[in-house]
Amino acid sequence: MKIILKYILTNVKERKTRTAVMLLSILLSTTLLFVSFSIGASYESAQRKMARGMAGSATLSVTAVEGEIAENALPDLPAIRASVPMLEGAALYHENGYYETIDLIGADISKLNKINPPRLADGGEITDFTGNKVILPDRFTSKYGIEAGDTITLQIGGQPVSLEVAAVAAYDTVFLRHTRGATALLPLTTLSELLGKTDGYSEILVEPAEGISTSELKSELSAALPDGTYRVSEVVNETQIAADARQKSMPFFLISFFSLTMSVFIIYSSYKVITLDRLPVIGTFRSIGATQKAVTQILLLESGLYGILGGLLGIPVGTLVLKLILQGMGESLSQGIEIPIVISPISIIFSFAVAVVVSLLSAWMPVRRASRLPIKDVVLGSVEEKQVPRRFILVGGVVLFVVSIILPKLASGNSLYLAGGFSLLGLIAATILIVPLLTNLMAMGLERIYGAVLGNTGRLAARNMRDNKNTVQNITLLFISISAVIAITVVGNFVTTYVSDVFNGAELQGFADGYMEQEFVDQVKEMDGIEKVLPVYVYENQMQANGTTLSRLEATDHLDWYGPMLALHYTEKGMEEQAISAFDGERAVLLSESCMDRTGFAVGDTLSLAVGSGKADYKVVGSFKSRATDVEAVIPSTFAVSDFGASAYDFLAYTAADPDAIMVQIRDLFGDTSNWSRTVEEFNTDALSTVGAFLQPMHSMTYFILLLATVGVINNLLINYIQKRRSIAMYKSVGLSNRQNMKMALIEGFSSGLIGAVIAIFVSYMEIQTIFLVAGPKISMVPELDAVTFLAAGGMGIAVTLLGSVVPIFKSRRMKLVEEIKFE
Amino acid sequence: MKQNAGKIAVEGKHIIKNFQIGSTTTKVLRDISLQVMRGEFVSIMGPSGSGKSTLLYILGGLDAPTKGQVLLNGTDISRFGDEKMSCIRRQKIGFVFQFYNLIPNLNVEENIMLPLLLDGKKMGSYKQQLHQILEIVGLSERRKHTPRELSGGQQQRVAIARALIGNPEILFADEPTGNLDSETGAEIMNLLCEINQTIGQTIIMVTHSPEAAKSSGRVITVQDGVII
Repeated sequence: MKIILKYILTNVKERKTRTAVMLLSILLSTTLLFVSFSIGASYESAQRKMARGMAGSATLSVTAVEGEIAENALPDLPAIRASVPMLEGAALYHENGYYETIDLIGADISKLNKINPPRLADGGEITDFTGNKVILPDRFTSKYGIEAGDTITLQIGGQPVSLEVAAVAAYDTVFLRHTRGATALLPLTTLSELLGKTDGYSEILVEPAEGISTSELKSELSAALPDGTYRVSEVVNETQIAADARQKSMPFFLISFFSLTMSVFIIYSSYKVITLDRLPVIGTFRSIGATQKAVTQILLLESGLYGILGGLLGIPVGTLVLKLILQGMGESLSQGIEIPIVISPISIIFSFAVAVVVSLLSAWMPVRRASRLPIKDVVLGSVEEKQVPRRFILVGGVVLFVVSIILPKLASGNSLYLAGGFSLLGLIAATILIVPLLTNLMAMGLERIYGAVLGNTGRLAARNMRDNKNTVQNITLLFISISAVIAITVVGNFVTTYVSDVFNGAELQGFADGYMEQEFVDQVKEMDGIEKVLPVYVYENQMQANGTTLSRLEATDHLDWYGPMLALHYTEKGMEEQAISAFDGERAVLLSESCMDRTGFAVGDTLSLAVGSGKADYKVVGSFKSRATDVEAVIPSTFAVSDFGASAYDFLAYTAADPDAIMVQIRDLFGDTSNWSRTVEEFNTDALSTVGAFLQPMHSMTYFILLLATVGVINNLLINYIQKRRSIAMYKSVGLSNRQNMKMALIEGFSSGLIGAVIAIFVSYMEIQTIFLVAGPKISMVPELDAVTFLAAGGMGIAVTLLGSVVPIFKSRRMKLVEEIKFE
Repeated sequence: MKQNAGKIAVEGKHIIKNFQIGSTTTKVLRDISLQVMRGEFVSIMGPSGSGKSTLLYILGGLDAPTKGQVLLNGTDISRFGDEKMSCIRRQKIGFVFQFYNLIPNLNVEENIMLPLLLDGKKMGSYKQQLHQILEIVGLSERRKHTPRELSGGQQQRVAIARALIGNPEILFADEPTGNLDSETGAEIMNLLCEINQTIGQTIIMVTHSPEAAKSSGRVITVQDGVII
């Protein structure tokens, strides 16, 4: 055993470059896989941190179905560790003509400290927090040059209120937010008086006692509280956060998938050469009595060593990369929060295991083949590579390719993901099988073109690519790399757009959220440059449908505008026309697909809608999905007025020649009235600064793929040159000059790049189709396929192979012809 | 039949070849001078390491001497640059190696035509010549086969055909039978003799085999870097 280990270590040491290439490919793959795993968990944790901003360690929120909740409404349960009443309000801060929305939070500081103690920017403690005082976050104070001890004026309920800045807090805890504006903390009693809400609170935050789970406490509280009076809800929607994190880590996993595929190919092709190199040693081993199994084990032990080393190094490197990525993410986030690094033991174990398994499996095929060779052939050096009939490979490749395309189209539900995974892998595997044929066919075409344009050298260069294993190997690696870069770029760009641009495809250019009378709407309609104005009545968590509360119901008198404005995608063709006609005079309701999933309602059902004293039956006339709105139901506004007494609008969407100019006027119209008004562009900028930061690292990870591709190409060139230098010497011996050699090498490099790029563009296009077919049911967007992305990636591939040709060109210039020719 | 009467095909003048390995200088050829006349079939023999192959490669322009001259048609080619030397290889000389040195992914025809293609000639214009050469080497039926589909002897025939296609002034052969069994080796030697006798091709051949050397008109023996 000792001697075998020594033999393996000597091999590793002697072949430094090859060892470095293999280690690097494993290391990069492990790093990428590890980062992909951890980034999702870290993102999830950051999201949770942001979602928990106000609640701290409290996990439940208790609110009254109507009005405020009294502190004594909560029963004294041993399952409760702490309960903190919170009062919420809104204010406006006016500075330089711009109104900044301030969310007001009123809390008893001693109680708040139990679940979510605010962290002061100077590190001190809040001692006296009573009266007209306010604590503001440093992000807000630094923007307006406010310091502790200053007095600021806020418009609360239309009245100016002067407050003394008691302290400046870090952008953390209750001050953390998802949107623009700022949060201000006031003493509970002060805010109660200012808002005129002295008999209750907006909500009571509850932290479970130790050993009690949130769901346990939730059921206990729901049971203890009187029916229909209070609502107990979880502060953080864990399912939503997990789904969100999964969505954002999708591109990272895609990167890992490609990097692993590339590693497999790099190790496999390296091992084909390694085993060829080692044939004399294998022969010696076998001739002195080593079994096939023993030879396989010896060679696999070496690849296992690469796997273990690459895996062990990949984890710390991955941690470092993750740290850098998260640091960059945190800094680029508009809120500037610190994102914790979350590393689960499973991600460590899995990444390491994959490194070892991938390394072993990739080497297994060539190793097993070598160890099974007849001893006589190995010793005499008369080993001939077994040729699998080309027809079988081709048919196998084509069948696999077709199956990979069709399978996701046939699958549904959970099997769709399985089919998608198979399809991605199948497309690459099938293309690997077809590459030799495609290369031959394309080289034949190029032979004619080059022959006519570039003469015999061009023709020979193209001819040289036919039935050339090195060329096939280069093209294969190249197509995997280029298709990886294309797929990752397209998916990455899509995710960025998907996450940040919720209004993608929606016609509206601006919106206002606030109390709006008909007169307000009329004034907006009169504004210069305004095009469409769509006022909407909103019932948030008020409307009951057959006893189930709808989270948001909107009423419009212009369904034909409403659909395009909010990018409504109707479930079935023809549903839109039906709905528009039904809205014109019938009690009709449109439901979102998610609402139908949640409630079990179906198109054709009659729902009894009720709010307050109003009640009426509505027929479900259609369903839709939309990313631009989270509305669950839409009804005609005529009936919202007649059945439920709707009087003032709560939401308004518009299109205009100059949306910004309209927005300024709308804000002016609102005056000091609380509102949330944004142009879509403003909204997107805000959203992008939040989510864009999370997606930025994905773009940097694309460079890892390029690095891995470069490693692979270098590896190939090494193998290539070793095998090719003899053929270059043969050419030179019959009169090939250095100039002709350079021309041929460049033409070959260019052609390999071109063929690789063409194949990659096609394969990546098919892969993108599969990815979006699998993701399709969850999203209501189609990817934009930008020709520039495809062409740029293809061009990059050509550049890589052209650059790669430089080394053989220079090396062959200094080639000792006699040595190369005489060497056998 | 080539015009040969009494002219020098190649001449080596005071050829010295040293190899430098680290700080050690090995003198492989020590001041060798020789002349080979047109139409001659010369064998170079000698023990392993005597410098016979090095002499062949220097005369054939695949290697450069440390000192001395190689005159081809009276012109010293030993200091030619890559471009000129490559042109000489394509047009004036042909080489046959022990291990055939055929391009594995090109077929028989393409391998044979290689020097002409590299010289910018159109394949179509040389069909007749190709046909003749294939007839001479007996591979007309195998013209579309790749080297791996041929036996060792057939591969060497392809190599001979490739060396002859450009109608070279001199054919150099480095142990052309060294990798073949005796029967096939004899066939190859017969072919070389036939070529020398029928078309008056100048041949310089390195061989270990006294049997093979017998086919040639003159034998030069090299030992310890000098002709004895």
